[in-house]
Amino acid sequence: MNRNWVLIVILALVACAPRSQEAGKRSRTLIQNKGSDTLVNVAQAWAERYKEVDPNVAVAVTGGGSGTGISAMINGTVDIANASRKMKDKEIELARSHGIDPVKWTVGYDALAVFVHPDNPVEGFALEQLAGIYGEGGEIDSWDQLGLEIPGCESREIVRVSRQNNSGTYVYFKETVLGKKQDYKLGSLDMHGSKDVVDLVQNTPCAIGYSSLAYATHEVKMPCIETAEDECITPSVQSAVDRSYPIARPLFMYTAGQPEGAIKTYLDWILSDEGQCIIQSKGYAPVLPVDCG
Amino acid sequence: MFESSDLNIRNRQVEKLWRLAFLVMTVLLILPVLAILGVLVYKGGPAISIDFLLTEPKDGMTAGGVFPALIGTVWLVAVALLASVPVGVAAALYLSEYAPDNWLTRVINLAIINLAGVPSIVHALFGVGAFVLFFRFGTSILAASLTLAIMTLPVVIVATRESLQAVPLAFREACWNMGATRWQTIRKVVLPNSVSGILTGIILEVSRTAGETAPIMFTGAAFFLPFLPQSVFDQTMAMSLHLFVISTQVPGVPEALPYGVALVLIAMVLAMNAVSIGFRMYLRGKKKW
Repeated sequence: MNRNWVLIVILALVACAPRSQEAGKRSRTLIQNKGSDTLVNVAQAWAERYKEVDPNVAVAVTGGGSGTGISAMINGTVDIANASRKMKDKEIELARSHGIDPVKWTVGYDALAVFVHPDNPVEGFALEQLAGIYGEGGEIDSWDQLGLEIPGCESREIVRVSRQNNSGTYVYFKETVLGKKQDYKLGSLDMHGSKDVVDLVQNTPCAIGYSSLAYATHEVKMPCIETAEDECITPSVQSAVDRSYPIARPLFMYTAGQPEGAIKTYLDWILSDEGQCIIQSKGYAPVLPVDCG
Repeated sequence: MFESSDLNIRNRQVEKLWRLAFLVMTVLLILPVLAILGVLVYKGGPAISIDFLLTEPKDGMTAGGVFPALIGTVWLVAVALLASVPVGVAAALYLSEYAPDNWLTRVINLAIINLAGVPSIVHALFGVGAFVLFFRFGTSILAASLTLAIMTLPVVIVATRESLQAVPLAFREACWNMGATRWQTIRKVVLPNSVSGILTGIILEVSRTAGETAPIMFTGAAFFLPFLPQSVFDQTMAMSLHLFVISTQVPGVPEALPYGVALVLIAMVLAMNAVSIGFRMYLRGKKKW
């Protein structure tokens, strides 16, 4: 019998150890924040800094994708959903049927950069060229068709790197570059995260990929994108702020109804100069130009 | 005098050859383990320090330590154990000591085997549906740990049942002949003689619970949460999910960091196991048969 009691006591100690450490601290408000993988690193940076702004509020950040965050908000398991796309009509209807009226907050802008291998001599792309590369029925399958010769890419074939279809980035690129009705060409490599796209492109001379500018590294090349006015604009925070870059999208946070209390204070802080400077430092564009010194 | 015939000699040589072949296979088995540990220590070693264990992640999780994740994993494992060990041991006791061999017992056994075969991501979906949404625990340690507990129940049940059945029937019969009831026999004879086996099951469960990512990522683990959990209704960071996100989702993480996290996770599991293994050896030493 004694042995059994020893076992029980050990289990109880293991269970109570963290509790006794925490006992005595006052309770705090927990804000649940979930959604877009594009926004997750900014959301993390906000949560990290907000700890110093208000130590009584804890912000729990989780990724998973825009769709994941929105459905969690509809289910009532998160307070703030991060989304790199607008809620679809169907999602808004579903939310209403749950008695939730989603409120949209634009928290920043994101330039969608096109990446190629650093040895690729390309200078810039026109949107039509990208549509020809990525779009269903598009004619461009080989770098030769663009008059490019890439060292290390013997096959000349364009290796298309894309995202999985629950990604907000996937949807935005499709709508903006390919056109709303147009679909992607089959046979692309669909990655599960923006970071994977960049990793693959920087190691593959034949590859082309796209993702948020914030995931860019020095190991990939970002060609400029031609606008309707025949200007070729390089993706940067600056060109996203002044809206001259043609494929920049708004980033949203959704709340279930008008937020109150700690959630409202947190959103206000995100939209304040301090919060907006954090998003800028992460490689995204603030909603309005801010001076971060 | 006996002299080896050609056949004898050939047989002996073939015997040696097979013995060698089996030995090589066994050694090959150890290689991956050594390779994994070697790579982790070599690449992750430089990241490890007291600070790494006791500070929070900072600079967008590209620097700093793993403290909240470490404590979070301890919480998840502890609550999962509290839920699954009593249920698992009780179920094993029933199956081993009381259950008659009828269709109900067979169905229960089949269910346990099937539960063990369910992929962890399916457990995760079940956890979201049952604990997060239906029981309204929200994404919390409680929901995540209960999901883990259900996932690891078969391990506890099977290990416990086997160690109970390893206790010779004669022990029980001797006890019954003294007029003891089944419960008295279990308490005084069966359990004391099988604790070491039950602990083995718990060791296995701890290792699996601490390492699982899929069941907790939808039910209770956060990408980032700079505070320690205060109750089972809080969300928490966890080592396994932390390793996943810093290796796949956070840009600009120095290479040593994910390896360091993996090394700490393995060391943690080994440390928890070491305690149970030591305890087990102590009990085994006291065994009288």
